[in-house]
Amino acid sequence: MSSNHYFKHEGPWSDAGDPLMCTDTGDWRTRRPVVDKDKCIFCGLCAIYCPIQVVEMKGDTHFEADLDFCKGCGICAKECPKGAITMISEGEFVS
Amino acid sequence: MAEKKQARLTKVLDYLKHDDPFSKGVAFCPGCGLELLLRFIPRVLGNDIVITGTPSCSAPVLLGQNNQSWHTLSYFGTLMTGAAANATGLVRYYRKAGIDNTVVCFNGDGTANDIGFGNLSGAAERNEPFIYICYDNEGYMNTGIQKSGTTPFGATTTTTPYGTVSRGKNLRRMNLGLKMAMNKIPYTATATLSDLDDLAKKLLKAKEAKERGFCFLHVFAPCPTGWGADPADTIEICRQAVKTNYFPLWEAENGRIRMTKTVKKPKPVNTYTKLMKKFNHMTEADHVILQDDVDYEYCLLGGLSVLEAECQLPVSVKDQGETS
Ligand SMILES: Cc1ncc(C[n+]2csc(CCOP(=O)(O)OP(=O)(O)O)c2C)c(N)n1
Ligand code: SF4
Ligand code: SF4
Ligand code: SF4
Repeated sequence: MSSNHYFKHEGPWSDAGDPLMCTDTGDWRTRRPVVDKDKCIFCGLCAIYCPIQVVEMKGDTHFEADLDFCKGCGICAKECPKGAITMISEGEFVS
Repeated sequence: MAEKKQARLTKVLDYLKHDDPFSKGVAFCPGCGLELLLRFIPRVLGNDIVITGTPSCSAPVLLGQNNQSWHTLSYFGTLMTGAAANATGLVRYYRKAGIDNTVVCFNGDGTANDIGFGNLSGAAERNEPFIYICYDNEGYMNTGIQKSGTTPFGATTTTTPYGTVSRGKNLRRMNLGLKMAMNKIPYTATATLSDLDDLAKKLLKAKEAKERGFCFLHVFAPCPTGWGADPADTIEICRQAVKTNYFPLWEAENGRIRMTKTVKKPKPVNTYTKLMKKFNHMTEADHVILQDDVDYEYCLLGGLSVLEAECQLPVSVKDQGETS
């Protein structure tokens, strides 16, 4: 449902359906960001720079990516000032 | 321990006051600068903005497909030739109807600097009260990475390839931000994704200044796919663009230019160009030409900011007021 308060949905001219479209972008990923919780200083830089804004605050200790949608770009790992995030090949996680 | 950690949280998070109106899985390439910008704008300005824009990389997501949408914002898709004219119509309608909102005309550099420049210029002259945001990925990305007016000297695109005859773009890049500031509109600024607090401040300033008329933001947004860059380097590219003065950060109220970030010891431009393949072929001589251009533009900007302070603003511009 739209948060727009002028129209119920996109506009009077629109026939957009209520549920939003969503692609399984997690499926594109070849490398996965893995956070070392001990190294994380809880600065949130990974969260603000993630283009798809899927790095979430976990309590008040660390940040972690939502792997359902993370595209594996590696920006969070690159920008982490403590090197707390490592990009690991998805192949390592296939059981 | 937990308290200590809290204190280090980046201040940028404080600007993200609103929800992300986009669904989590949208069809932008991994590491796309445009995606970060597009999610950032409504989180700072609020979800009640109305966006209008043209065919481009942003359109498939903003416009939606078939009967479905990728986001909950209001979006009006229009033609490349008429983006700012369309925004003018929208903003005038909302004024007449007594609806107080923010219209954002959101376009790539191809629309803003080239194909839709005529009506952008017209909207600036008429001082229409909306915010025009140009995300600059230095080319026509959506149609297959063709050269645009903001593509820099030397860069390879599909229309300025590297080969025996062509050696990348042989023309200099146009300075869109400066061009707009010269119109003495209430607010003009450049911004990029490595300095998100600066970008947030400028967005909020534009929202305030649009009450007095036209606002223009020129945002440098790398395209890893089109530039041949590692998606992980998107933010680093923005950072180096600022540190080499390739893309200086400034703002201009009523055309009065003020640097918002000064780089004490600018790095040579090849610290920036080496981050992507589109400059791979460039020789030292090519780099001298590009460096010259970067230095000239920066010098001009500095000169203008000093001159502007000395010159008396004409009454017609003063009437527009200033942001507190
Ligand atoms: C008048 C007109 N000319 C050409 C096109 C074809 N076209 C569609 S998208 C596009 C590229 C737009 O480039 P830009 O505005 O820079 O956005 P980007 O794709 O880089 O995000 C072009 C040329 C068009 N839609 N309309
Ligand atoms: S950038 Fe690194 S240190 Fe900062 S919150 Fe993210 S993982 Fe932790
Ligand atoms: S790898 Fe990219 S998409 Fe995934 S969490 Fe990190 S920044 Fe976000
Ligand atoms: S082609 Fe470039 S601008 Fe377009 S979605 Fe991909 S990375 Fe973004």
